Amino acid sequence: MTEEAKIIEKRKIPSGTIMMFGFPDVGLVGVIAASHLIEELDLDEVAYLDSTLLPPIIVLHEGLPHSPIRVFGNDSVLLVVSETPLSADIIYPIMYALIDWGKSKNVKMMVSLSGIPLEERQDAKELKVFAAGSSAEMLKTIKDGGVEILSEGYMVGPQAIMLQRCSQLGVPAVTLLAQCFYNYPDPEAAAEVLKGLAGITGVKVDIAKLLEKGEEIRVKARDVMKRTQQEMSNMKKGQEYDIPMYVS
Amino acid sequence: MAIEKKKRSFIDIFDEYFDDMERELDRWRESFVEGPSWNLKASTMEPLKNMRVLPTEVVVTVDLPLTKESSLKVKALDQRTLEISAEMRRKMSFKELGVTHHKGEFQRFHAHMQVPVAVQMKKMKTKFKKGMLEIHLPRKQKR
Repeated sequence: MTEEAKIIEKRKIPSGTIMMFGFPDVGLVGVIAASHLIEELDLDEVAYLDSTLLPPIIVLHEGLPHSPIRVFGNDSVLLVVSETPLSADIIYPIMYALIDWGKSKNVKMMVSLSGIPLEERQDAKELKVFAAGSSAEMLKTIKDGGVEILSEGYMVGPQAIMLQRCSQLGVPAVTLLAQCFYNYPDPEAAAEVLKGLAGITGVKVDIAKLLEKGEEIRVKARDVMKRTQQEMSNMKKGQEYDIPMYVS
Repeated sequence: MAIEKKKRSFIDIFDEYFDDMERELDRWRESFVEGPSWNLKASTMEPLKNMRVLPTEVVVTVDLPLTKESSLKVKALDQRTLEISAEMRRKMSFKELGVTHHKGEFQRFHAHMQVPVAVQMKKMKTKFKKGMLEIHLPRKQKR
Protein backbone atom coordinates (compact mmCIF):
# COMPACT_ATOMS: atom_id res chain seq x y z
CA MET A 1 0.00 0.00 0.00
CA THR A 2 1.42 3.41 -0.90
CA GLU A 3 0.72 6.89 0.44
CA GLU A 4 -1.02 7.63 -2.86
CA ALA A 5 -3.56 4.85 -2.27
CA LYS A 6 -4.41 3.47 1.15
CA ILE A 7 -7.30 1.58 2.66
CA ILE A 8 -8.91 3.08 5.74
CA GLU A 9 -10.65 0.53 7.92
CA LYS A 10 -13.86 1.56 9.65
CA ARG A 11 -14.07 -1.59 11.76
CA LYS A 12 -12.09 -4.71 12.54
CA ILE A 13 -11.62 -6.79 9.40
CA PRO A 14 -11.91 -10.55 9.93
CA SER A 15 -9.32 -12.80 8.34
CA GLY A 16 -10.00 -15.78 6.10
CA THR A 17 -12.77 -14.12 4.08
CA ILE A 18 -13.51 -14.31 0.37
CA MET A 19 -12.70 -10.92 -1.18
CA MET A 20 -14.72 -9.92 -4.24
CA PHE A 21 -14.42 -7.01 -6.67
CA GLY A 22 -17.16 -5.28 -8.67
CA PHE A 23 -15.85 -2.49 -10.88
CA PRO A 24 -17.52 -0.57 -13.74
CA ASP A 25 -16.70 -2.47 -16.91
CA VAL A 26 -18.49 -4.06 -19.88
CA GLY A 27 -22.23 -4.35 -19.25
CA LEU A 28 -21.62 -3.03 -15.72
CA VAL A 29 -21.80 -6.71 -14.77
CA GLY A 30 -19.52 -6.37 -11.73
CA VAL A 31 -21.22 -3.29 -10.31
CA ILE A 32 -24.75 -4.66 -10.77
CA ALA A 33 -23.76 -8.02 -9.25
CA ALA A 34 -22.00 -6.24 -6.36
CA SER A 35 -25.02 -4.02 -5.61
CA HIS A 36 -27.20 -7.11 -5.50
CA LEU A 37 -24.77 -8.90 -3.16
CA ILE A 38 -24.72 -5.90 -0.80
CA GLU A 39 -28.52 -5.90 -0.67
CA GLU A 40 -29.04 -9.65 -0.37
CA LEU A 41 -26.22 -10.30 2.12
CA ASP A 42 -26.97 -7.06 4.00
CA LEU A 43 -23.31 -6.02 3.87
CA ASP A 44 -22.02 -2.95 5.71
CA GLU A 45 -19.28 -0.56 4.69
CA VAL A 46 -16.18 -1.76 6.54
CA ALA A 47 -13.40 0.16 4.78
CA TYR A 48 -12.73 2.57 1.94
CA LEU A 49 -9.98 3.60 -0.40
CA ASP A 50 -8.36 6.95 0.22
CA SER A 51 -6.36 8.01 -2.79
CA THR A 52 -5.03 11.16 -4.37
CA LEU A 53 -4.91 9.27 -7.66
CA LEU A 54 -8.69 9.28 -7.99
CA PRO A 55 -10.41 12.16 -9.77
CA PRO A 56 -11.78 14.75 -7.32
CA ILE A 57 -15.03 12.87 -6.72
CA ILE A 58 -16.89 12.03 -3.55
CA VAL A 59 -20.15 10.12 -3.41
CA LEU A 60 -22.81 11.65 -1.18
CA HIS A 61 -25.02 9.26 0.74
CA GLU A 62 -27.55 10.83 3.11
CA GLY A 63 -25.60 14.08 2.98
CA LEU A 64 -22.27 12.56 4.01
CA PRO A 65 -19.16 12.17 1.85
CA HIS A 66 -17.93 8.71 0.88
CA SER A 67 -15.07 7.45 -1.24
CA PRO A 68 -16.16 6.19 -4.65
CA ILE A 69 -14.29 2.97 -3.87
CA ARG A 70 -15.59 1.24 -0.79
CA VAL A 71 -15.25 -2.15 0.86
CA PHE A 72 -18.41 -3.81 2.16
CA GLY A 73 -18.40 -6.94 4.23
CA ASN A 74 -19.53 -9.31 6.94
CA ASP A 75 -17.77 -12.14 8.79
CA SER A 76 -17.22 -14.24 5.69
CA VAL A 77 -16.95 -11.91 2.70
CA LEU A 78 -15.38 -8.60 1.65
CA LEU A 79 -16.66 -6.84 -1.43
CA VAL A 80 -14.83 -3.94 -3.10
CA VAL A 81 -17.13 -1.75 -5.20
CA SER A 82 -16.30 1.29 -7.27
CA GLU A 83 -18.98 3.80 -8.17
CA THR A 84 -16.76 5.41 -10.76
CA PRO A 85 -14.86 3.81 -13.63
CA LEU A 86 -11.10 3.69 -13.16
CA SER A 87 -8.99 5.31 -15.82
CA ALA A 88 -6.20 3.19 -17.31
CA ASP A 89 -3.40 5.23 -15.69
CA ILE A 90 -4.53 4.56 -12.11
CA ILE A 91 -5.63 0.93 -12.36
CA TYR A 92 -2.26 -0.53 -11.36
CA PRO A 93 -1.64 1.47 -8.15
CA ILE A 94 -5.27 1.23 -7.04
CA MET A 95 -5.54 -2.51 -7.64
CA TYR A 96 -2.13 -3.19 -6.09
CA ALA A 97 -3.15 -1.27 -2.95
CA LEU A 98 -6.42 -3.22 -2.66
CA ILE A 99 -4.82 -6.60 -3.30
CA ASP A 100 -1.92 -5.98 -0.93
CA TRP A 101 -4.43 -4.93 1.73
CA GLY A 102 -6.53 -8.06 1.09
CA LYS A 103 -3.43 -10.23 1.37
CA SER A 104 -2.58 -8.60 4.70
CA LYS A 105 -6.05 -9.68 5.89
CA ASN A 106 -5.26 -13.28 4.88
CA VAL A 107 -8.19 -13.54 2.49
CA LYS A 108 -8.98 -17.09 1.39
CA MET A 109 -9.58 -16.18 -2.23
CA MET A 110 -10.08 -13.10 -4.42
CA VAL A 111 -12.81 -13.08 -7.04
CA SER A 112 -13.42 -10.44 -9.70
CA LEU A 113 -16.96 -10.22 -11.02
CA SER A 114 -17.08 -8.98 -14.56
CA GLY A 115 -18.26 -9.52 -18.11
CA ILE A 116 -16.98 -10.52 -21.49
CA PRO A 117 -18.62 -8.82 -24.47
CA LEU A 118 -20.68 -10.92 -26.81
CA GLU A 119 -21.09 -9.53 -30.32
CA GLU A 120 -24.68 -10.71 -30.93
CA ARG A 121 -25.77 -10.38 -27.31
CA GLN A 122 -29.37 -9.37 -28.06
CA ASP A 123 -29.95 -12.64 -29.92
CA ALA A 124 -28.26 -14.87 -27.33
CA LYS A 125 -30.62 -17.43 -25.81
CA GLU A 126 -28.33 -18.16 -22.88
CA LEU A 127 -25.30 -16.41 -21.47
CA LYS A 128 -22.22 -18.44 -20.69
CA VAL A 129 -19.91 -17.74 -17.78
CA PHE A 130 -16.18 -18.20 -18.13
CA ALA A 131 -13.38 -17.93 -15.60
CA ALA A 132 -9.63 -17.61 -15.47
CA GLY A 133 -7.55 -18.55 -12.43
CA SER A 134 -4.35 -17.40 -10.81
CA SER A 135 -2.88 -20.91 -10.59
CA ALA A 136 -3.36 -24.50 -11.72
CA GLU A 137 -5.12 -25.25 -8.40
CA MET A 138 -7.57 -22.42 -9.07
CA LEU A 139 -8.31 -23.78 -12.53
CA LYS A 140 -9.31 -27.04 -10.83
CA THR A 141 -11.52 -25.11 -8.38
CA ILE A 142 -13.16 -23.37 -11.35
CA LYS A 143 -13.83 -26.68 -13.12
CA ASP A 144 -15.13 -28.27 -9.93
CA GLY A 145 -17.47 -25.29 -9.55
CA GLY A 146 -18.97 -26.07 -12.96
CA VAL A 147 -17.59 -22.99 -14.72
CA GLU A 148 -15.89 -23.12 -18.10
CA ILE A 149 -12.25 -21.98 -18.30
CA LEU A 150 -11.42 -19.04 -20.52
CA SER A 151 -8.27 -20.59 -21.81
CA GLU A 152 -7.13 -18.16 -24.52
CA GLY A 153 -7.75 -14.47 -25.20
CA TYR A 154 -7.14 -11.00 -23.86
CA MET A 155 -8.42 -9.53 -20.62
CA VAL A 156 -8.33 -5.77 -20.12
CA GLY A 157 -9.09 -3.76 -16.98
CA PRO A 158 -8.99 -4.06 -13.17
CA GLN A 159 -9.94 -7.78 -13.24
CA ALA A 160 -6.91 -8.50 -15.45
CA ILE A 161 -4.54 -6.75 -13.04
CA MET A 162 -6.14 -8.49 -10.07
CA LEU A 163 -5.50 -11.90 -11.59
CA GLN A 164 -1.93 -11.11 -12.53
CA ARG A 165 -1.02 -9.55 -9.18
CA CYS A 166 -2.59 -12.42 -7.23
CA SER A 167 -0.75 -14.91 -9.39
CA GLN A 168 2.55 -13.13 -8.57
CA LEU A 169 1.77 -12.99 -4.84
CA GLY A 170 0.47 -16.54 -4.61
CA VAL A 171 -3.01 -15.45 -3.57
CA PRO A 172 -5.74 -17.80 -4.91
CA ALA A 173 -7.83 -15.77 -7.34
CA VAL A 174 -10.50 -16.12 -9.99
CA THR A 175 -11.88 -13.71 -12.54
CA LEU A 176 -15.45 -14.57 -13.45
CA LEU A 177 -16.76 -13.25 -16.77
CA ALA A 178 -20.34 -13.52 -17.95
CA GLN A 179 -21.17 -12.96 -21.61
CA CYS A 180 -22.81 -9.56 -21.84
CA PHE A 181 -23.50 -6.40 -23.82
CA TYR A 182 -20.38 -4.33 -24.34
CA ASN A 183 -21.92 -0.93 -23.72
CA TYR A 184 -25.34 -1.48 -22.19
CA PRO A 185 -26.01 -2.35 -18.53
CA ASP A 186 -26.72 -6.08 -18.42
CA PRO A 187 -28.52 -7.32 -15.27
CA GLU A 188 -29.10 -10.76 -16.85
CA ALA A 189 -25.34 -11.18 -17.23
CA ALA A 190 -24.90 -10.04 -13.60
CA ALA A 191 -27.31 -12.79 -12.53
CA GLU A 192 -25.26 -15.34 -14.47
CA VAL A 193 -21.98 -14.21 -12.91
CA LEU A 194 -23.57 -14.62 -9.47
CA LYS A 195 -24.50 -18.20 -10.37
CA GLY A 196 -20.86 -18.79 -11.29
CA LEU A 197 -19.76 -17.21 -8.00
CA ALA A 198 -22.03 -19.58 -6.07
CA GLY A 199 -20.56 -22.59 -7.91
CA ILE A 200 -16.96 -21.65 -7.18
CA THR A 201 -17.14 -20.08 -3.72
CA GLY A 202 -20.43 -21.17 -2.20
CA VAL A 203 -21.48 -17.50 -1.78
CA LYS A 204 -25.13 -17.86 -2.82
CA VAL A 205 -27.80 -15.21 -3.24
CA ASP A 206 -31.30 -15.27 -4.69
CA ILE A 207 -31.17 -13.71 -8.17
CA ALA A 208 -34.94 -13.53 -8.76
CA LYS A 209 -35.20 -9.92 -7.52
CA LEU A 210 -32.26 -8.88 -9.69
CA LEU A 211 -33.94 -10.23 -12.81
CA GLU A 212 -37.28 -8.73 -11.79
CA LYS A 213 -35.73 -5.25 -11.41
CA GLY A 214 -33.58 -5.66 -14.53
CA GLU A 215 -35.23 -2.99 -16.69
CA GLU A 216 -35.30 -0.50 -13.81
CA ILE A 217 -31.57 -1.09 -13.22
CA ARG A 218 -30.92 -0.42 -16.92
CA VAL A 219 -32.64 2.99 -16.64
CA LYS A 220 -30.70 3.91 -13.51
CA ALA A 221 -27.33 2.73 -14.78
CA ARG A 222 -27.29 4.78 -18.02
CA ASP A 223 -24.98 7.54 -16.82
CA VAL A 224 -22.44 5.23 -15.14
CA MET A 225 -22.44 3.11 -18.30
CA LYS A 226 -21.79 6.18 -20.44
CA ARG A 227 -18.79 7.22 -18.30
CA THR A 228 -17.54 3.64 -18.28
CA GLN A 229 -17.72 3.50 -22.10
CA GLN A 230 -15.34 6.47 -22.28
CA GLU A 231 -12.81 4.83 -19.94
CA MET A 232 -13.11 1.47 -21.69
CA SER A 233 -12.31 3.11 -24.97
CA ASN A 234 -9.27 4.85 -23.42
CA MET A 235 -7.92 1.58 -22.02
CA LYS A 236 -8.39 -0.27 -25.34
CA LYS A 237 -11.04 -2.54 -23.91
CA GLY A 238 -12.05 -3.50 -27.42
CA GLN A 239 -8.91 -5.66 -27.49
CA GLU A 240 -10.97 -8.36 -25.75
CA TYR A 241 -12.62 -8.96 -29.12
CA ASP A 242 -9.21 -9.51 -30.76
CA ILE A 243 -7.95 -12.83 -32.01
CA PRO A 244 -4.82 -13.52 -29.96
CA MET A 245 -1.47 -14.19 -31.56
CA TYR A 246 0.68 -16.10 -29.14
CA VAL A 247 4.42 -16.17 -29.34
CA SER A 248 5.47 -19.52 -27.86
CA MET B 1 -17.08 5.20 -69.94
CA ALA B 2 -19.62 7.98 -69.72
CA ILE B 3 -19.99 9.70 -66.39
CA GLU B 4 -23.38 11.19 -65.84
CA LYS B 5 -23.41 14.38 -63.89
CA LYS B 6 -26.66 15.39 -62.32
CA LYS B 7 -27.24 19.12 -62.51
CA ARG B 8 -27.82 20.75 -59.15
CA SER B 9 -29.25 24.17 -58.57
CA PHE B 10 -27.43 26.82 -56.54
CA ILE B 11 -30.10 26.42 -53.83
CA ASP B 12 -29.46 22.64 -53.64
CA ILE B 13 -25.74 23.23 -53.21
CA PHE B 14 -26.41 25.93 -50.62
CA ASP B 15 -28.79 23.62 -48.69
CA GLU B 16 -26.33 20.74 -48.76
CA TYR B 17 -23.56 23.02 -47.54
CA PHE B 18 -25.63 24.15 -44.55
CA ASP B 19 -26.82 20.58 -43.82
CA ASP B 20 -23.19 19.46 -43.75
CA MET B 21 -22.26 22.37 -41.51
CA GLU B 22 -25.10 21.60 -39.11
CA ARG B 23 -24.05 17.96 -38.94
CA GLU B 24 -20.49 18.97 -38.16
CA LEU B 25 -21.75 21.31 -35.44
CA ASP B 26 -23.86 18.51 -33.95
CA ARG B 27 -20.79 16.25 -33.86
CA TRP B 28 -18.78 19.04 -32.28
CA ARG B 29 -21.45 19.67 -29.64
CA GLU B 30 -21.72 15.95 -28.87
CA SER B 31 -17.98 15.60 -28.39
CA PHE B 32 -17.24 18.73 -26.37
CA VAL B 33 -20.30 19.77 -24.40
CA GLU B 34 -21.18 17.63 -21.44
CA GLY B 35 -24.80 17.94 -20.50
CA PRO B 36 -27.26 15.89 -18.50
CA SER B 37 -28.71 12.74 -20.01
CA TRP B 38 -32.20 14.08 -19.35
CA ASN B 39 -34.39 17.02 -20.24
CA LEU B 40 -36.70 18.05 -17.46
CA LYS B 41 -38.70 20.50 -19.58
CA ALA B 42 -39.61 17.76 -22.03
CA SER B 43 -39.69 15.05 -19.29
CA THR B 44 -37.38 12.93 -21.41
CA MET B 45 -34.30 10.82 -20.79
CA GLU B 46 -31.65 10.13 -23.36
CA PRO B 47 -31.18 6.39 -23.92
CA LEU B 48 -27.84 4.67 -24.41
CA LYS B 49 -27.22 4.03 -28.09
CA ASN B 50 -24.63 2.59 -30.40
CA MET B 51 -23.99 2.50 -34.15
CA ARG B 52 -21.96 0.09 -36.27
CA VAL B 53 -21.10 0.81 -39.87
CA LEU B 54 -20.85 -2.51 -41.72
CA PRO B 55 -19.97 -3.03 -45.39
CA THR B 56 -23.60 -3.34 -46.49
CA GLU B 57 -25.60 -1.75 -43.69
CA VAL B 58 -25.58 0.48 -40.65
CA VAL B 59 -26.87 -1.13 -37.47
CA VAL B 60 -28.10 1.10 -34.68
CA THR B 61 -29.02 -0.26 -31.25
CA VAL B 62 -30.82 1.73 -28.57
CA ASP B 63 -31.41 0.56 -24.99
CA LEU B 64 -35.03 1.37 -24.14
CA PRO B 65 -35.87 -0.41 -20.88
CA LEU B 66 -39.40 -0.08 -19.43
CA THR B 67 -40.65 1.00 -22.85
CA LYS B 68 -44.15 0.49 -24.24
CA GLU B 69 -43.47 -1.14 -27.59
CA SER B 70 -46.62 0.37 -29.13
CA SER B 71 -45.33 3.89 -28.45
CA LEU B 72 -41.99 3.40 -30.15
CA LYS B 73 -41.30 5.81 -33.03
CA VAL B 74 -38.29 5.81 -35.32
CA LYS B 75 -38.31 8.71 -37.77
CA ALA B 76 -35.88 9.71 -40.51
CA LEU B 77 -35.61 13.50 -40.16
CA ASP B 78 -33.49 13.67 -43.30
CA GLN B 79 -31.23 11.32 -45.26
CA ARG B 80 -28.71 11.14 -42.39
CA THR B 81 -30.64 11.84 -39.19
CA LEU B 82 -32.73 9.46 -37.09
CA GLU B 83 -35.04 10.46 -34.29
CA ILE B 84 -36.13 7.87 -31.77
CA SER B 85 -38.81 8.36 -29.15
CA ALA B 86 -40.68 6.01 -26.86
CA GLU B 87 -42.99 6.21 -23.91
CA MET B 88 -42.10 4.37 -20.72
CA ARG B 89 -44.52 2.00 -19.03
CA ARG B 90 -44.31 4.10 -15.88
CA LYS B 91 -42.96 7.42 -14.74
CA MET B 92 -39.59 7.57 -13.01
CA SER B 93 -38.85 10.39 -10.62
CA PHE B 94 -35.49 11.89 -9.75
CA LYS B 95 -36.00 10.47 -6.26
CA GLU B 96 -36.26 6.94 -7.67
CA LEU B 97 -33.09 7.56 -9.65
CA GLY B 98 -31.32 8.45 -6.40
CA VAL B 99 -31.28 12.23 -6.95
CA THR B 100 -32.79 14.40 -4.22
CA HIS B 101 -31.66 17.89 -5.25
CA HIS B 102 -33.82 17.96 -8.39
CA LYS B 103 -37.56 17.56 -8.60
CA GLY B 104 -39.38 16.06 -11.54
CA GLU B 105 -40.16 12.88 -13.37
CA PHE B 106 -39.61 11.26 -16.73
CA GLN B 107 -41.85 9.18 -18.91
CA ARG B 108 -40.22 9.23 -22.34
CA PHE B 109 -36.97 8.39 -24.03
CA HIS B 110 -35.80 10.67 -26.78
CA ALA B 111 -32.68 10.57 -28.92
CA HIS B 112 -31.45 11.62 -32.29
CA MET B 113 -28.39 10.48 -34.13
CA GLN B 114 -26.44 11.16 -37.29
CA VAL B 115 -25.56 8.33 -39.63
CA PRO B 116 -22.01 8.93 -40.93
CA VAL B 117 -22.48 7.25 -44.34
CA ALA B 118 -25.17 7.40 -47.02
CA VAL B 119 -28.04 4.98 -46.28
CA GLN B 120 -31.43 4.11 -47.74
CA MET B 121 -33.72 5.46 -45.06
CA LYS B 122 -36.81 4.16 -46.85
CA LYS B 123 -35.53 0.59 -46.49
CA MET B 124 -35.09 0.90 -42.74
CA LYS B 125 -36.02 -2.22 -40.72
CA THR B 126 -36.52 -2.30 -36.97
CA LYS B 127 -36.67 -5.01 -34.35
CA PHE B 128 -37.57 -4.59 -30.67
CA LYS B 129 -36.81 -7.30 -28.13
CA LYS B 130 -36.53 -7.14 -24.34
CA GLY B 131 -36.36 -3.34 -24.40
CA MET B 132 -33.59 -3.26 -27.00
CA LEU B 133 -34.28 -1.54 -30.32
CA GLU B 134 -32.28 -2.60 -33.35
CA ILE B 135 -32.41 -0.53 -36.55
CA HIS B 136 -30.99 -1.81 -39.84
CA LEU B 137 -30.26 0.73 -42.58
CA PRO B 138 -28.95 -0.63 -45.91
CA ARG B 139 -26.06 1.47 -47.20
CA LYS B 140 -26.30 3.27 -50.53
CA GLN B 141 -23.87 1.53 -52.81
CA LYS B 142 -21.66 3.74 -54.98
CA ARG B 143 -22.03 3.07 -58.72
